[in-house]
Amino acid sequence: MSIATHVAPAADRKSAIQTIGLQKSYGSGAATFLALDDVSIDIAENEFFTLLGPSGCGKTTLLRLIAGFNFPTDGQILLHGKDIAPLPPFKRPINTVFQNYALFAHMSVAENIGFGMKMLGWPKEKITARVAEMLRLVRMEALAERRTSAISGGQQQRVALARALAPQPQVLLLDEPLSALDYKLRKEMQVELKRLQTETGITFVFVTHDQEEALAMSDRIAVMSKGKVLQVGNPREIYNAPVDRFVADFIGESNILEGRVLDDAGPGAFQVYVAGTTITAYGHATRGSAIQVLIRPEHVDVLDIATPNALPAEVENEVFVGSDTRLGLKLENGARFTVRLSNSPELDRQRTAGGRVWLRIHDRCARLLGAEHV
Amino acid sequence: MATKAKAFDLKAQPGFSAIARIAVVSLYLPIIILVVFSFNATSSLGVWGGFSFGWFVMAWHNDLIINAALFSLFLATVAGVFATIMATMAAIAMTRSDAYRGQTISYALINQPLIVPEIVTAISLLIVFAAVKSATGYSGTGYLVIAHTAFCIPFAYLPIRARLEGMDLNLETAAADLYADPWKTFVHVTLPRLGPGIVAGFMLAFVVSLDDVVITDLVKSGGQETLPTFMLGQIRRDMTPEVNAAATMLLIPSILLVTAVHLINRKK
Repeated sequence: MSIATHVAPAADRKSAIQTIGLQKSYGSGAATFLALDDVSIDIAENEFFTLLGPSGCGKTTLLRLIAGFNFPTDGQILLHGKDIAPLPPFKRPINTVFQNYALFAHMSVAENIGFGMKMLGWPKEKITARVAEMLRLVRMEALAERRTSAISGGQQQRVALARALAPQPQVLLLDEPLSALDYKLRKEMQVELKRLQTETGITFVFVTHDQEEALAMSDRIAVMSKGKVLQVGNPREIYNAPVDRFVADFIGESNILEGRVLDDAGPGAFQVYVAGTTITAYGHATRGSAIQVLIRPEHVDVLDIATPNALPAEVENEVFVGSDTRLGLKLENGARFTVRLSNSPELDRQRTAGGRVWLRIHDRCARLLGAEHV
Repeated sequence: MATKAKAFDLKAQPGFSAIARIAVVSLYLPIIILVVFSFNATSSLGVWGGFSFGWFVMAWHNDLIINAALFSLFLATVAGVFATIMATMAAIAMTRSDAYRGQTISYALINQPLIVPEIVTAISLLIVFAAVKSATGYSGTGYLVIAHTAFCIPFAYLPIRARLEGMDLNLETAAADLYADPWKTFVHVTLPRLGPGIVAGFMLAFVVSLDDVVITDLVKSGGQETLPTFMLGQIRRDMTPEVNAAATMLLIPSILLVTAVHLINRKK
């Protein structure tokens, strides 16, 4: 990748959590449902690692196996190299922030935060000090004695976080913790979570179906679908070089064109014939094969004169959305194509439907996609 | 609720208030008459002869009544505690385990005393205990405690189970996640949340035990009298409003406890 900021993969760091050939199935015989299919991932220490995928992809199942709430049908879960798969949850130095927070309503905020340490048998003074520290960390000092039913959703979220962080777990699991919050609060908590992760240095494993959230917060992301991990990488890799059509579609907006590989064009580059034009695309392919090409809507210039290697297109509609303008276009082979242009007052110009334009793809921005996982 | 009431309001149906009045009167009039005549100055059970606390004073000084009342309270407490403990264990086993073969049957078996006619239970217990009695020679209160515990269990079980089923299972998962083993989870999370259900279960069991006549009468050994069986014995002989006074006193704890159960359940 040409992109500069690149978080090193787990290989050259110590791993916190490793799963090897993890399998989880429910039911038996013909009714067997494979929730996790041969999942092997390696999560590094101090990493903010996100499991991303649509509902039912197995991301929560994987989280629950790591927490110990369910046990794998097959495979290993290693915590710092030791197999923890047979351990019950209360023997794992791993804590969870639940989607619905699961706060103990019969206890105060402070008692909730102190619960894990009390169960671990910490001395009272140490618990009191740590609770005070956690209350400060999540900025909840004033509400320590409140019942958890008497505080707002955002505050409950902070208490759940503090409660899970307090016993100094080696890994913190977060199960869609922001999904119950409204948009503005969610944005705030994204920043807050990232801050907490950096300050505490604890490995975070975060589950979400929100790709924007995943891109904004994660060091690395594992994209999951139908019980399998399709791709693991940092946000830029996942966005810029998705391995297949599913990942490309799931993360961000995408134009995916059908094409045919004509010839090599240097290392990792190919001449590809799409929609009546030859363009250069990057990835892995064999000469002569049918292939799919991914082009992100923002990686395109719209030109008014015919240009070599630019795709001719017809304007269908134009939508002004404030920071951007979205152009709906039709290519020569009838395929739909979306372009997103940044707006600024001097560049702003309206295009009429039916007008002819040429689309020049930014250098190295056409990606070849592998065969789709089914 | 409001929209539902608009769609179909039972209270607006013709005859509703008349039926309701007849039901309330026929349920409570006999009890009211009983209470009123416990304050009768004469020994008549049907003719009002003026107001008096005389029968209450007399009942209060009647050692037989007092002993029977104390025995009733003792029996209800012991059987109530045993029944509540067993009902709690049964309810947890049935709501916190994976589905197992015979789960439905166990549910039916626990609730069996609610379905089987009391006289049938009473006679079966009588026969079994008679055999035990002749084999061991033991004729203490143990039989009554066992019998009362048995028929009190479903009354204690139902509110406890309802409470367990309404509980968020995530709370127990969260406790386990925070290093609480199953026993600590039960003590620190399940039990505090279950408390009101257990109290309600115990109170219902207590009242049911306190009020029982049929099983007690058949199972008890000579000389053992609960307040209800003592009163049953009295009315076979020369009946005076003293029995009314005793009955009125028996009503008070029942009403108080049932009201308390209602309030506890409402407060959730």
